[in-house]
Amino acid sequence: MFLTRSEYDRGVNTFSPEGRLFQVEYAIEAIKLGSTTVGIKTPEGVVLGVEKRVQSPLLESNSIEKIMEIDAHLGCAMSGLTADARTMIDHARVTAQNHAFTYDERIKVESVTQAVCDLALRFGESVHDEEAMMSRPFGVALLIAGIDELGPQLFHTDPSGTFIRYEAKAIGSGSEAAQGELQDKWHKQMTLKEAQILALRVLKQVMEEKLDQHNVQLAQVTPSKGFEILDEVGLKAIIEEM
Amino acid sequence: MVSLAQQQPIQQSFNPYTENGGTILAVSGADFSVIAGDTRQSEGYNIQTRYAPKVFKLTDKAVLAVNGFAADGNMFVKKVKQRLEWYRHAHAKDMPIRSIARLIQTMLYARRFFPYYVYNILGGIEEDGTGAVYSFDPVGSYEREACRAAGAAQSLVQPFLDNQIYFKNQTPAPGTSFPQHLPLQTVLALVIDSFTGATERHIEVGDGLEMYVVLSRGSTALQSLQSIRGVQEITATNDGERVFVIRKELKKD
Repeated sequence: MFLTRSEYDRGVNTFSPEGRLFQVEYAIEAIKLGSTTVGIKTPEGVVLGVEKRVQSPLLESNSIEKIMEIDAHLGCAMSGLTADARTMIDHARVTAQNHAFTYDERIKVESVTQAVCDLALRFGESVHDEEAMMSRPFGVALLIAGIDELGPQLFHTDPSGTFIRYEAKAIGSGSEAAQGELQDKWHKQMTLKEAQILALRVLKQVMEEKLDQHNVQLAQVTPSKGFEILDEVGLKAIIEEM
Repeated sequence: MVSLAQQQPIQQSFNPYTENGGTILAVSGADFSVIAGDTRQSEGYNIQTRYAPKVFKLTDKAVLAVNGFAADGNMFVKKVKQRLEWYRHAHAKDMPIRSIARLIQTMLYARRFFPYYVYNILGGIEEDGTGAVYSFDPVGSYEREACRAAGAAQSLVQPFLDNQIYFKNQTPAPGTSFPQHLPLQTVLALVIDSFTGATERHIEVGDGLEMYVVLSRGSTALQSLQSIRGVQEITATNDGERVFVIRKELKKD
């Protein structure tokens, strides 16, 4: 690793002679250190699931926040440097609110994803004429789930500002095994319940600890109730059904 | 030598606005909308032009009529059209009429302390396929209605529409009730009567009449429209909504 380092490692906006942006590539590597996060799209809605790493028995697991609301119809799960996700989700929320204010309609899932990605590749540049610069790429990947006039959708964004729509996607440390499992088990006519159970099964496979209602979190976006994070009681019931 | 005490203060005034006359109106039906305006543009007793359009097609489901200060009106329409194009690029769809209405509010209120001196009426088809009319004041208050007249002859036309479309001051014959929506033929006849009447009684109304008709997907009003002489289709997309324009002469005196 260190042998391959060169002067092109330093500037965030400098291409290497091979045409690579090392800092962006390292940021993508940073996500692979994060906890596993999965998203599954079904005709009934989208399910998001995250693993919470409870490193100490004294840690209060409900203070780990890896799934957040963007708007009533939009949710987001993250993996990587979760502190960076704050800035991105804040931007997404402002964008969604501004859209609702100006156009009296809910923003499309793709539009809010595009807005987040526009921010993601503004590193090395000052935002809104401010002096402070975004010094480095974001070290976090997001799964943005939502419902709009095109139905339920799931988007994956990475630090390069690229976004891709998925039927089911896993990110984070266990993503390779998890993505393989999703590819085997996902099917087009899945119910929301099946998706919840699949999300938990996938997480269970890649987690080191025994899965319970304290070290995972599930959220969903449905046409009737919009975005909601499942509480521990609801989560426990689904875990028992697994 | 004039003493300073005798000098009168001089009031400097800035008059950025003119009133350019004319009248606009819009009526919504169950699955169509009619948006109309005369084409005379005047300043005081002078006619500047006999053909200055006040009604503009924005999309295949929305038509905007502007009345008041013509320069502001033209600039405002230009800016709305620009915003619609940006929206199309950002969100890969035409802006729904409900969103255009809200956008117009924010654009007008943004100029709260130096307003566009225009009254806007927006007509077209809602996402659910129903006919819609939105009316605005110059600083952006808006409301969805079934019909609205604005401009020089508003005070002549609106009471007529209230009576003929909302059936105000009428009582239905025993055992009957008034219809919620009128057919296109009836609406077009009322629009023509409104403008010929306004032309007779208001000096700032006349010369020409432009009536835009927006039909929703599979509207039954299509047959009655195609039988009208001089109707011209100006639909641009294949989304299902269709836009037509009918031009008529009004008295030029």
